[in-house]
Amino acid sequence: MRQWRSWVLPAWSSVLALVLLGPALGRGYVLSFDMVWVPDLALRPDFLGVATGLPRAVPSDAVVALLDEVVPGMLLQKAVLLGSLVAGGLGAARLVPHTALVARAVAVGLFQWNPFVAERLVLGHWPVLVGYAVLPWCLVAAREWRQTRRFPRRLLCLVPLGSLSAGAGLVTALVVLAFVAGGARTLRALLLVVAANAPWLVAGLLHASSSVTDADGASAFALRDEGLLPGPLAALGLGGAWNAETMPSSRAGMLAVVALLVVLGLAAVGARTWWRRLGARDGVAFLVCAVTGWALAVLTWVAPGATGWLVEQVPGAGLLRDGARQLALLAPLLAVTAATGVDVLWSRGPSGLVGRLAVAVAVVLAPVALLPDAAWGVTSRLGSATYPPSYDEARDAVASAVAEQPGDVLVLPLSSYRQPAFNDDRKVLDPVGRYLTPDYVASDELVVSGVVIAGEDPRVREARAALDAGTPGERSELLGELGIGVVIVDVTAPGPAPLVAGEQVLATSDLVVVVLPDTAERDVPTGWMVAMAGAWSAFGGLLLAAVVVGLGSLRGARRRRRITI
Amino acid sequence: MGTILTTIGALVLGGVVAAATIVGVVSSQTAAPDKSPTNVNAPVIEYGSN
Repeated sequence: MRQWRSWVLPAWSSVLALVLLGPALGRGYVLSFDMVWVPDLALRPDFLGVATGLPRAVPSDAVVALLDEVVPGMLLQKAVLLGSLVAGGLGAARLVPHTALVARAVAVGLFQWNPFVAERLVLGHWPVLVGYAVLPWCLVAAREWRQTRRFPRRLLCLVPLGSLSAGAGLVTALVVLAFVAGGARTLRALLLVVAANAPWLVAGLLHASSSVTDADGASAFALRDEGLLPGPLAALGLGGAWNAETMPSSRAGMLAVVALLVVLGLAAVGARTWWRRLGARDGVAFLVCAVTGWALAVLTWVAPGATGWLVEQVPGAGLLRDGARQLALLAPLLAVTAATGVDVLWSRGPSGLVGRLAVAVAVVLAPVALLPDAAWGVTSRLGSATYPPSYDEARDAVASAVAEQPGDVLVLPLSSYRQPAFNDDRKVLDPVGRYLTPDYVASDELVVSGVVIAGEDPRVREARAALDAGTPGERSELLGELGIGVVIVDVTAPGPAPLVAGEQVLATSDLVVVVLPDTAERDVPTGWMVAMAGAWSAFGGLLLAAVVVGLGSLRGARRRRRITI
Repeated sequence: MGTILTTIGALVLGGVVAAATIVGVVSSQTAAPDKSPTNVNAPVIEYGSN
């Protein structure tokens, strides 16, 4: 009986993840908004944080580039998406260990099947989802650290995993600090989160002069009303992400209101019991995280002007402009209080087997019933795509060209997003540059509801100015001075692609590769290299320590088993 | 009597939620999209809309 029960939660979490991802698990790559995976992401200097633009994909890109040397990119992406969802759900169940099985299943469902997860999946924010998944595990480990005064070694792996992007790293750091804080541990916890976040932190400091962002972005990426729910209430239900195109349609109607009432109702029923069982110290930590996440999200809704001023004036403040992203901090509190509410009601529910079974079906299925269109890849918003053969041809052509004459690649047209036919016209960040092997320059300008949000990379501005030159020869010369050695044009993408002089080494139906005659070498300041080496050593050191500790534990367990036998 | 009513109530609740889940998931997958989210011929492809 006990054995059967131990499989219920992993099975339920897996079913939810499979139904949620649906077609995204088919053969091919999930290319959705900011999520661009390629068969073999090449590690290049820019991925280490020494690019001229802001380090938006540090350290996630470098980690993927290393891992896909071992596991093929396609498989790795599916494993990351599926693993994140399942791990997150099971982690949520660990937050309510002393409740009935049905209550833990509700925690799994609420944490795994909600607007935040659906919208971040479609937006392609996979490092945020990885951070979201490790959040409950970090929370449990951090609490254990404080209570037992012994450092849980799994944090060596969990905290770097939760810090694969700047936004995710801040959330992970706040959770760890909130639950650990007290005495000398606070400093050690601070060192841990700083080391885990060092790659993007140091890279961000190196780019401090260009790390302020366009004020228009604050309004564009602010928390949004969803259907009948104003922003603050949508946020309480973990919805309200800025992009209407990623919102499940059911969020526009009454179902969103019902979902909010059900979750808040259950949370209200369970709040007192939850507080009594947990104790004030941990309760306050939960509340601090939840209130911070909700308040940061609501700030972008209440005062987009002030947020705009902040992101334009304060380096690094742009991290806060995507308001709903911080709602990851609210999710654990909602899941545990609502699950405790179910536990309270369960203890007073019908006593017969049939009645209890019926109630269990109702409460466990409720998250799905209240957001049905999250199913099957958020109603097929997610799918799997196969790159055309021309991408491989372009990769080979560019690799040969830069082997003879080193230089970076300029991707044209200078616009950020594409809707490739091979991706069923789904929007995605231009995948061409990532498919190639050298560093590349591509547009970082974004257009939201017709408003152009300026990018921050000075090299893109310089390339744009070079393309404005009068003749192909002049353009080629000016681009060469910027360190550009190859220009690749996606002829299927809308937007201008001015001619440049050079040798055309590939021309397919969708991609054209031109090698420029002369290229200056782009220098990366030595100080930057040294600083980033230190940051990566801190980040990699944690993971290395986690591996060593893990292997040690494994060996110890084997030895103990042998002695027992 | 109370036990029987509670059981019937639980059965109704469980049945309604299970049916709503199946109907909701199936209808959301089979319904036509309410609007075309994108225009592949636009001069610039927008990141999104509010």
